[in-house]
Amino acid sequence: MTTTSILNAATSADRGPPAWTRWLDLGDRALAVVLLAPAAILLALIIVYPVLRLGYTSFFSLSLTSGLPAEFVGLENYSLMLEDPVFWETTWNTVLITLITVPGALLVGLALALLANLPFGVQWPVRLSLLIPWALPLSFAGLIFAWFFHSEYGVVNDVLIRLGFESIIWFNSPNWAFAAICLTIVWKTSSFMALIILAGLQTIPRSLYEAADVDGAGRVRQFFEITLPLLKPSIVVALIFRTITALQTFDIPYMMTGGGPGTSTSTLAMYIHQNTVSFLDLGYGSALAVVMFALSMCVTAVYLRAIRTKE
Amino acid sequence: MSAVAAPGLSGLLSGRPLRFLAGAVLIVNGMFPALWILFTSLKTEAELTAKPITWVPHAPTLANYMQAFSDQPLHLFLFNSFMVALLSTCLTLLVSVLAAYALARLDLRYRGLILSLIIAVSTFPLVTLLVPLFEIMRTLNLLNTWVALVLPYTVLSLPVCTLMLVSFFEGIPRDLENAAMIDGCTRLGALFKVVVPLCAPGVFTAGILAFVNAWDEFLLALSFNSNPALRTLPVGIQLYQGEFAFPWPVISAALVVGIVPVAVLIVIFQERVVSGLTAGGIKG
Repeated sequence: MTTTSILNAATSADRGPPAWTRWLDLGDRALAVVLLAPAAILLALIIVYPVLRLGYTSFFSLSLTSGLPAEFVGLENYSLMLEDPVFWETTWNTVLITLITVPGALLVGLALALLANLPFGVQWPVRLSLLIPWALPLSFAGLIFAWFFHSEYGVVNDVLIRLGFESIIWFNSPNWAFAAICLTIVWKTSSFMALIILAGLQTIPRSLYEAADVDGAGRVRQFFEITLPLLKPSIVVALIFRTITALQTFDIPYMMTGGGPGTSTSTLAMYIHQNTVSFLDLGYGSALAVVMFALSMCVTAVYLRAIRTKE
Repeated sequence: MSAVAAPGLSGLLSGRPLRFLAGAVLIVNGMFPALWILFTSLKTEAELTAKPITWVPHAPTLANYMQAFSDQPLHLFLFNSFMVALLSTCLTLLVSVLAAYALARLDLRYRGLILSLIIAVSTFPLVTLLVPLFEIMRTLNLLNTWVALVLPYTVLSLPVCTLMLVSFFEGIPRDLENAAMIDGCTRLGALFKVVVPLCAPGVFTAGILAFVNAWDEFLLALSFNSNPALRTLPVGIQLYQGEFAFPWPVISAALVVGIVPVAVLIVIFQERVVSGLTAGGIKG
């Protein structure tokens, strides 16, 4: 602390702020450290230390069910992983879910945002219809859609039959189960995309469209030459956030299919959970998590670059 | 879109029937799943298995709600979810208000670096922390306590809430704080007596965000709590499933009970939530 700030503290003490706050009347730098400390401590305890610990544990054979003490095994967990067909299958499923649902949610979200941007007289039903899916827990969405796709009493099959199609036994076939999961994820996540894109839409000045009208540009051309380019920043942010969360997909397949039939709809996150919580194989679970962490950090690196170029 | 009518497609796009159709599409898309669960929760077993299935229940009954509370301790699940969400919301707000004030107002040398770090942390996949957090909680004897969930949930919301609050705090003129400090407030006094009250809507929005995050979380709640008395709602709701039976009307009733608290929050504060979400989302 510098002399001036001690003097400041002394003079403000004369004016009599409550005694308990007086010790916090520090210089800017010191005060900043104090104010940031709680956040830093929490992040260190819940994120930084666990991540370091994760890398460390992945080099050990540590299974709580075997009762054996942790033993350093070097890269053995990783070489096991390379030969583990379930690892490859769940990773592939995760990548496939990301590749299908991220663009899917973007397209649906963009469509919803364009619809929601029409000049409605009453705004709140539109807002609510975008907020409710966002606020609905993922695990609830999984259960609700499991019921939607129920082979006998589900509303999806009911509609299919009414339209003259055959009903589908969604959860008995790997492909249909996978499709049902992807549809559910797209429904659940497109609303948040729509909210972000809608905010971007509302910042586009109307005068641009009016000028384009004068120039005789049709709506389709206006969309591709004005709307889309100006929406790019919001779309990039929404896309990257969605990609990061798609890699972590857990709740919806866990609730809808439990990963089945077999392991055909299981994701990497579900496999990490299974190895850790069910098999208590912390060494192998850690190695799996390191892989997911690496995947996710690649996306984050792209994200940070996108933000920097935006600024 | 522009109010200026142009020939062809644009005339159709600004037309009233289209707007009506657009509203219908939005509302059906957003509300139908929740509505369908509500309908299911009011059906009797006989009506559920009738073919072809009925959409709107003919003889609505509340029996499923009674059963949802008697088959499983639904009130306990609700209580646990509520307490965990409330505690982590309070902790998130306290910690992020302090951090955001430092980032918005104090002359920091590494401000840009700290902000980038916060953004990076907000992208960490929670599931990768499952193993080490599990070990930490086991070592600290915190498994099967609220704390094992409150701490990670706080960290889950901390980055987004901090970034949101930074942008809200930056919108408050410094003169107001300076005036308070001349009147004898300390900096912290000015923060809590002037800045936070002026940013009340923003702080409140950050709080709702943190609450919804915690109310929704499933993976950690599933992994860290094996004690039935401490289960949160998303975890507890699975218990209705029998070995062979899946009592959908009862599960639906439990889901409706779980959706209502958050839905009420959203209905009351919808405008604020939208503006807060989009401010946070675009900022990163």
